[in-house]
Amino acid sequence: MLEVKNLYCSYGSMEVLKNVDFKVDNGEVVAVIGSSGSGKTTLLRCLSFLNKANSGTIIFDDFKKDITRLKKNDIMKLRSKMGYVFQDFNLFRNMTVRQNILEGLVTARKMDPTEAWKIVNEMLEKVGMSHRAEYYPAQLSGGQQQRAAIARALAYNPEIILFDEPTSALDPELTREVLAVMKRLAKEGTTMVVVTHEMSFAQEVAGRVIFMENGVVVEEGRSSEFFTSPKEESTRRFLRLSMQEQDYVI
Amino acid sequence: MNERLLGILVNSFPRLLLYLFKVTIPLTVSIFTISVILAFILALIQVLDIRVLKTLTRIYVWVFRGTPLIVQMYIIFYGLPSLGISLNAFPSAVIAFSMNYAAYMSETIRAAIQSVPQGQIEAGYMIGLTYGQIMRRIVIPQAARVAFPTMFGSLIGLTKDSSLAASITVVEMFKTAQQIASKYFEPFALYCEAAVIYLMLNTVLTLLQAFLERKLTWKQPKEESEKIPALQADTE
Ligand SMILES: Nc1ncnc2c1ncn2[C@@H]1O[C@H](COP(=O)(O)OP(=O)(O)OP(=O)(O)O)[C@@H](O)[C@H]1O
Ligand SMILES: [Mg+2]
Repeated sequence: MLEVKNLYCSYGSMEVLKNVDFKVDNGEVVAVIGSSGSGKTTLLRCLSFLNKANSGTIIFDDFKKDITRLKKNDIMKLRSKMGYVFQDFNLFRNMTVRQNILEGLVTARKMDPTEAWKIVNEMLEKVGMSHRAEYYPAQLSGGQQQRAAIARALAYNPEIILFDEPTSALDPELTREVLAVMKRLAKEGTTMVVVTHEMSFAQEVAGRVIFMENGVVVEEGRSSEFFTSPKEESTRRFLRLSMQEQDYVI
Repeated sequence: MNERLLGILVNSFPRLLLYLFKVTIPLTVSIFTISVILAFILALIQVLDIRVLKTLTRIYVWVFRGTPLIVQMYIIFYGLPSLGISLNAFPSAVIAFSMNYAAYMSETIRAAIQSVPQGQIEAGYMIGLTYGQIMRRIVIPQAARVAFPTMFGSLIGLTKDSSLAASITVVEMFKTAQQIASKYFEPFALYCEAAVIYLMLNTVLTLLQAFLERKLTWKQPKEESEKIPALQADTE
């Protein structure tokens, strides 16, 4: 469904992504893992055009184009099929949870307010935030803010949702409630790309795992095989370290 | 206090109030309105990074912040006639003040706009908003909240600074006090009286500021948040 080929991206003179190929199929949950600074966020930002790539090809269903030659219109159209959940939520601070979710429907998509209102209620229900609909972000816990942000991304029914470390700003308790929502989405067949440090989540929920290091994809595989029998030495080292870390936390 | 002095003070009070409402406040309000609009345009030019205009804006801010207001007023009121442009005292004061205040306020507004986290702008793009919608619905409301205390401070400053207009013959409250003072040879009493009136005006404004700031936070009291709200995010 979504695919990039030969993706290159840099900040100034520093090359961050080097010849990355990346593909997500319909209904798939793909976990992207790798140490800090390996380029995971940059990959998601290139996929959603928040960063300009240096070169590469983007394919979305039957749309295919050089990623550096997208028109404003192309970007608008492709983004309308994507949801993006940020590490630090990025809720609009001047709007309540409800208004945050309505915004993509009523302002962006000119949907009938009564209709949008119904969808918002459904989304709030889905992420367990109905009782906080009229709260402003400043009045919510991190976990509640992230669940609201997920509802905002879900509301316009995107074909794929990109998550960038959705729980790394949260403590374990709050992490659990956000992961529970994401698990539910996965079960419903939502197509998701999840950058995460939560190895157990990747293991349990993702169908496929991608391991990045220094801006290249080092290894990828079905999560059942990936965690039990990683092929590359660097993957093994990374997994060993992160599993250890997790033992400490628990 | 002797009876004569008391009489002067009591008799002059309504006259000072008259000039407060007839001149000082209209002067302040027109200057504030014009300079906020002008400052907003100047700030937007810089935020939107419009090439040539941006350079002109920087030069404008540099010149008007770098020269004294009273000199700007003298240039407009006493200087321009020699170039064939004669303006009355009141509009001269409005123009000079507005241009000067706009230079300062544009910096406040620009900083406020840039204080809104980039992440919210990106989130706006991802849910399908256009740049214009993001500015109107997300950035500017939050920037307004950030800029509000400083802008209100400028308004309070302006009520007092407006007395500078007396120097180019605008008869506002202070100038009126001056006239009465020299008529009765009671400068101390009359200037104190003028000071008290300024203080009263700004006490009201300060209370108003505190009230508005409470209104402007994005928090709801708990009781209110339990109520079922009206459909708010409809139009536009
Ligand atoms: N805005 C930026 N300007 C310059 N360099 C950047 C910028 N953002 C990221 N980088 C650099 O790009 C590289 C990849 O960063 P990226 O954020 O994609 O890593 P990441 O895998 O998401 O790391 P983390 O797990 O810490 O989030 C890093 O070396 C980082 O220093
Ligand atoms: Mg990252």
